[in-house]
Amino acid sequence: MALLRQTYLLLCKDLLLELRRRDSLLTMFFFGTLLLFVFHFSFDPAPDKVAEIAPALLWLAFLFTGTLGLAQLFQSERENHCLDALLLSPLDRGALFLAKTCFNLILMLIVEIVVMPLLWILFNLQTWNLLPQLFLVTLLGTIGFCVLGTIMSALTLRARARELLLPLVLFPLMIPVILATIRCMENVLRTGEFGDATPWLRLLLGFDVIFLTVGVLIFDWVIES
Amino acid sequence: MVRLSIDPFNKAKFYLHLNPYLALTIVGQLVFRQLHSKRNIGLNTLRITVDKLAKAYGYLWAINNLNLDLKPGDFVALLGPTGAGKTTLLRILAGLTSPTTGSVQLDGVTISGAAAELRAKIGLLAPADHLYENLTVKENLRFFLSLYDHHHDDHAIVAQLDTVNLAERAGEYVANLSSGMKCRLSIAKWQLLQPELLLLDEPYGVLDGGGVDLLESFLQAQCAKGRIVIVASHHVARVLNLCSRAVILNHGRLTFDEAKRQPWPSFEKAYGEFLPRGESWRS
Amino acid sequence: MALAAIAVGLYWGLIVAPPDAYQGDVQRIMYLHIPTIVAAYLSFFLVFVGSCLYLWKKEKRDDILAYAAAEIGVLFTALVIVEGSIWGRPTWGVWWTWDARLTTTAILLLIFVGYLMLRSLIEDESRAASAAAVLGIIGALDIPLIHMSVYWWRTLHQPPSIFRPDKAPWENVAWPLLIPLTINIAAFLILLFYLLSLRYRLGEMREEIKARRLDRGG
Repeated sequence: MALLRQTYLLLCKDLLLELRRRDSLLTMFFFGTLLLFVFHFSFDPAPDKVAEIAPALLWLAFLFTGTLGLAQLFQSERENHCLDALLLSPLDRGALFLAKTCFNLILMLIVEIVVMPLLWILFNLQTWNLLPQLFLVTLLGTIGFCVLGTIMSALTLRARARELLLPLVLFPLMIPVILATIRCMENVLRTGEFGDATPWLRLLLGFDVIFLTVGVLIFDWVIES
Repeated sequence: MVRLSIDPFNKAKFYLHLNPYLALTIVGQLVFRQLHSKRNIGLNTLRITVDKLAKAYGYLWAINNLNLDLKPGDFVALLGPTGAGKTTLLRILAGLTSPTTGSVQLDGVTISGAAAELRAKIGLLAPADHLYENLTVKENLRFFLSLYDHHHDDHAIVAQLDTVNLAERAGEYVANLSSGMKCRLSIAKWQLLQPELLLLDEPYGVLDGGGVDLLESFLQAQCAKGRIVIVASHHVARVLNLCSRAVILNHGRLTFDEAKRQPWPSFEKAYGEFLPRGESWRS
Repeated sequence: MALAAIAVGLYWGLIVAPPDAYQGDVQRIMYLHIPTIVAAYLSFFLVFVGSCLYLWKKEKRDDILAYAAAEIGVLFTALVIVEGSIWGRPTWGVWWTWDARLTTTAILLLIFVGYLMLRSLIEDESRAASAAAVLGIIGALDIPLIHMSVYWWRTLHQPPSIFRPDKAPWENVAWPLLIPLTINIAAFLILLFYLLSLRYRLGEMREEIKARRLDRGG
C-alpha cells in the first residue's frame, strides 16, 4: 500500500543519512548520559531512596534528550529546500508523519537501550531482572512522545524561537504520558510486577493509538504552506 | 486479574475499549485515501487555466488578478523584473503555495491541495536545490524515482546520468558537486520522471555552455511531446529563442501575453518599459 | 445588561444567601468560582470548534473565533486559579495544592498559553492560523486524557457539588444556594459572550485593515 511503502522509503533515507553523519544520535546519547550525571549530583540520593526517584530521573533525562532529537528532526529537509521537493511529489503527508515518528522513535530507543542500564550502574541499583518490563513501559511512553513530538516539531518548523517554542507547546500535552510511565515504573520497581499499574499501561496504549491516528489524518494541515 | 475498585478506572476501561473503533477509523481513513486519489487526467487534453489569481504576503500583493490560459505544447517564457512575482507564480503552479484568491486548474482540477495523482504530473526544477547533500548522486535519483513510483533499474539510471555527463560522478556525494552539476542532476531526474507540466526558476544562472544545450534539448523534447514548459528567467535572449509564447509580469500584474512571432515589435515595446533607458534585452 | 445581571447575581450570592455550614463566608466565592470555570471550559470548547471549522472550511471568521476564544479562555482560567487560591488559603491552609482539578486547570492554562505563543511567533498569518488550529484540536483531544491521568494520580478537591454523575444537580446543592448560583452562571456566560463579541469584532477589524492596506498597496 502506498502509505506504508512511502513511509518505508523515507525512513530508509533518514536512517541512511543518520548513519553517515551520526550527529543526532551521538548528541542525544551524550546529552542523556550528561543529564544522569547532573541529576546524581543534584539529588545525591541515599541508597535506599534511589529506587524511588530513579524512574522520574530516567524519564526526565529521556524527555530532554528527545526534545533535542525533535529539534533536529526535519534538519535534512531544511537544507536545499528538500521539504518543497517532498511536498511537490505525490507523497502522502501521513507517510511523512509516520516516517519521521519512526525515525525519532528508533533514535530514542537506541539511546534508551544504552542509558537505562547506565542508570542502573551509576545509581547502584540491584533490580536488573526488572529491566524488560521497564523497557516495555518506556517503549510505550516513547512512542507517545515521538508521535506528539513530530506533530509539534512540524508545527513550529517555521516559527521564530523554534527551539524554545517546541518544549513550551509539547510538554503540557505530554503530561499523561509522563504520569503514566513514571507511576508504572515506580510500581514495577516497588512490587516487581505490573499489578495495580495496569490501567496506566492501558492509558499509554490508548494515548499512542489515538494520537497516531490523529497525526496521520491531520498532517496535511500541519505541513502546508 | 486486576480488581478495579475505583470508578475512574472503569471510565478508563470504557474509553480504552474505543481502541477497536480507532483501529477501524485508521483502516477506514486509509481506504478512503486510496479511493480518493484515483483520478485520471487525460494526456491529450492538458490545459492550465489560471483564473483571477492573487497572492498577498502581509500588506503586499505579490500577484494580482492574473489570468492565463495554457494549452499542450506551450513553451512559455515568464519574464519580468526582480520581485515581479515570477517565483510566487511558479510556486503556486507547483502547488507549494496556496493562492489568497482565485484558482489554478489543470484540466479542471484545482492544483492547490490536489491529490497525489495530480502532483505526480507537475515538476519544478530549482537549479541547485531539491537534492540531499549527504546522499550520493545515484541515491538521490533512486530516492526521488521511488517517491514518484517509477521503477528504473541500475542500467537506466547510469545511462541517464551519462546523457548529462555525470556518469563518472555517480557515487559521489551531492555536497561535493558544483551548482552546475547539481542542476544537471535535476535535469536527469526530470528527464526520467517526464512531468506533464515542467516549471523552471532561473536555470541559466548556474549552467555552463554544455549544460545549457542539455537543458534546451530536454525542454524542446518535452514540448514536442505535447507537454507544457514554463521558464522564468532573466536571460531573455536565450529563452526567447526557444519559447512559443512570452508572458511579462510587473509588480504582480500580467502586462504582456502573446504568442511568438518574428519580428516582435510589441514584445520589444512591452519589455522596454521597465528596462533602464538605453538598455536592450539583447545584450 | 451583562453588568446588571452580574451585579444582581453577585449581590444575591454574596449577601443574601445563607453561609455554608462548614466553610462560612469564604464559601461564597463559589458563586464566582463555578461560573468562571463554566465560562473558561466553554471558551475552550469554542476554540476546538473554531479550529475544526477553520481546517475544514478555511474561512477567516472561524480563525478569528478560535483566537478570540483562546485569549478570553486564558483570562478566565487564570481567574479560576486565582479564585481557587483565595478559597484554598482559609479552607485548606495552603495557597496551592496538587490536587486533580487544580492541576488539570493549570495544565489547561499552559496548553492555551502555548497556543497563543505559537500564534504570535509564526509570521505568516495563514500558516499561523492553520498551525494554531491543529494545536487547538490536539489540545482539546488531549484534555480528557490529562484529566483522567491527573485524577487517578491525586484526589483532594471537593467532590463535584453540582455535576456529580449519580445524582441530579438540584439534589446536591441546597435550594437557597442554587438560585444565586444559576443566576451567576448565566451572568458570567453573558459576560463571556460580551467579551467574545468585542474581541471577535476586534479581529474582524484587523482583517479589514489588512484588506484595505492590501488594496491600496496593490
